[in-house]
Amino acid sequence: MTDTVSRTRIVVEKLADFAWGDRRIVDVDGRSIGVINVGGTFHALRNNCPHHGAPLCEGVVKGTMEDTPAHEYSYVRHNEYIVCPWHGYEFTLATGRSLVEPDKIRVRVYEVVVEGDDVVLYV
Amino acid sequence: MTTIEAPRSAEQTDPKKTGIIDSDVHPNFVNGIRDLTPYMTETWRNRLGVSGDDWAKGMAAAQFTLPLDYLYINAAGAYREDAARPGMPPATDPDFTAQHLLDKHGIYRAVLLAGQCLGIGAMPDGMVAATIASAYNEWMCERWLQNDVRWRGALVIAPQDPEAAVAEIDRVAKRDGIVAVFMPLGEILMGEKHYWPIYEACARHELPLIVHPSGCENVFAKAPRMAGTPTFYLEWHTALGQIHQSNTLSMICHGVFEKFPKLKYIIAEGGFLWALEVMWKLDRDWKGLRNEVPWLTRPPSEYLLDHIRFTTQPFIEPHDPKHIGPLMEMLHADRTLMFSSDYPHWDFDNPQRSLQTVSKELRQKILVDTPRAVYGDRLD
Repeated sequence: MTDTVSRTRIVVEKLADFAWGDRRIVDVDGRSIGVINVGGTFHALRNNCPHHGAPLCEGVVKGTMEDTPAHEYSYVRHNEYIVCPWHGYEFTLATGRSLVEPDKIRVRVYEVVVEGDDVVLYV
Repeated sequence: MTTIEAPRSAEQTDPKKTGIIDSDVHPNFVNGIRDLTPYMTETWRNRLGVSGDDWAKGMAAAQFTLPLDYLYINAAGAYREDAARPGMPPATDPDFTAQHLLDKHGIYRAVLLAGQCLGIGAMPDGMVAATIASAYNEWMCERWLQNDVRWRGALVIAPQDPEAAVAEIDRVAKRDGIVAVFMPLGEILMGEKHYWPIYEACARHELPLIVHPSGCENVFAKAPRMAGTPTFYLEWHTALGQIHQSNTLSMICHGVFEKFPKLKYIIAEGGFLWALEVMWKLDRDWKGLRNEVPWLTRPPSEYLLDHIRFTTQPFIEPHDPKHIGPLMEMLHADRTLMFSSDYPHWDFDNPQRSLQTVSKELRQKILVDTPRAVYGDRLD
């Protein structure tokens, strides 16, 4: 990596203790970051909704409704989004971008990996 | 000092650039529904009990009236006193009305809205309402539209029976002078599928859909619902915006403007500043609740701004006139407002006076440009 900014390595949890659907909120130098295990894939996002400052990572993980003609529904991309627990804004887990205003309303996402027996977050 | 008037440029005299459009004028019957009997079949005259002598003798027919605001008392009368002459109720004579309204105020085109048919959406029998609507349309075309080219008409439909309404739109839409479809309001909110055939027909004929208060709101079971029935005329008259808030939200949320992208919708005399909170709150909530209405592909306020227009009368009079400018800006008034006088009603707005608080540029949009964009070539 050409990245010259130093990164902090945080061991979040033992992999064996971090079940599917579980999440951990960690504090890194005053920043609250949520780490979520979605079916074995880990996501880490800033736990602070840019809309009104809600703890975003305490929200539900789910899919969304596709754009459809009036009076038709199509539920798609199950578990690719986290829904803010306050006003219901949906954010793409992988990118931190909101569905309604992806360029304007977005949260920082972080690298989270499994190293040996540990779930490790890099900030 | 003598001055020589400069010759007027073509732009100054071109009515397409300067002609004032009035979107809300109410033509009236002289003898109530009896004015319409020449335009009904004998079968329907019998059905309504208005055939021959039955009208004078039959109790049933004598008690039959069109639903209007009979239960509210405006002690001064709901009409301009100066619009009446002995033996001639207001807006019953096309020639006098043309002089009194169009000549006096330099109005280029005025759209006639429904007269005493404003409330037929509250009638329990949709077939009766549709028959009255058809007869009214014939009456309006013959008595008014053929009388003076400055009159334009909104053809009336009965909302109870969408199939009959579509047939009526198809029957009358192409006639000279027709510029819109007037839909009396009923108890079903306007986003519901019930109305979709009507919207399809409006879009197909490129006729904007117009609604207007009727005075029946929450009075009859099939009239538009309010939170309760207002007691006073003042109370009712001030609260009319709530009907339109509900209908606007219903139309946007049901995806009417996604389904019918060419549909234009005009709210006459329904107020307009309520639209600010509707737009802001709808956009805010939609960001979190869009899964319920995934057919909305844009922030909901955009549908309102693109498809809905408001007539100006009664124009706002804030306590501090300097608030008008910012309010107009928030409302995008340069594309959402269209002038209306509401002649011959008591709360008439004069095109030369009522808009003095807005800028000259905005006045031009409200009086001419925006109604032109909505009605198009049917004005000429």
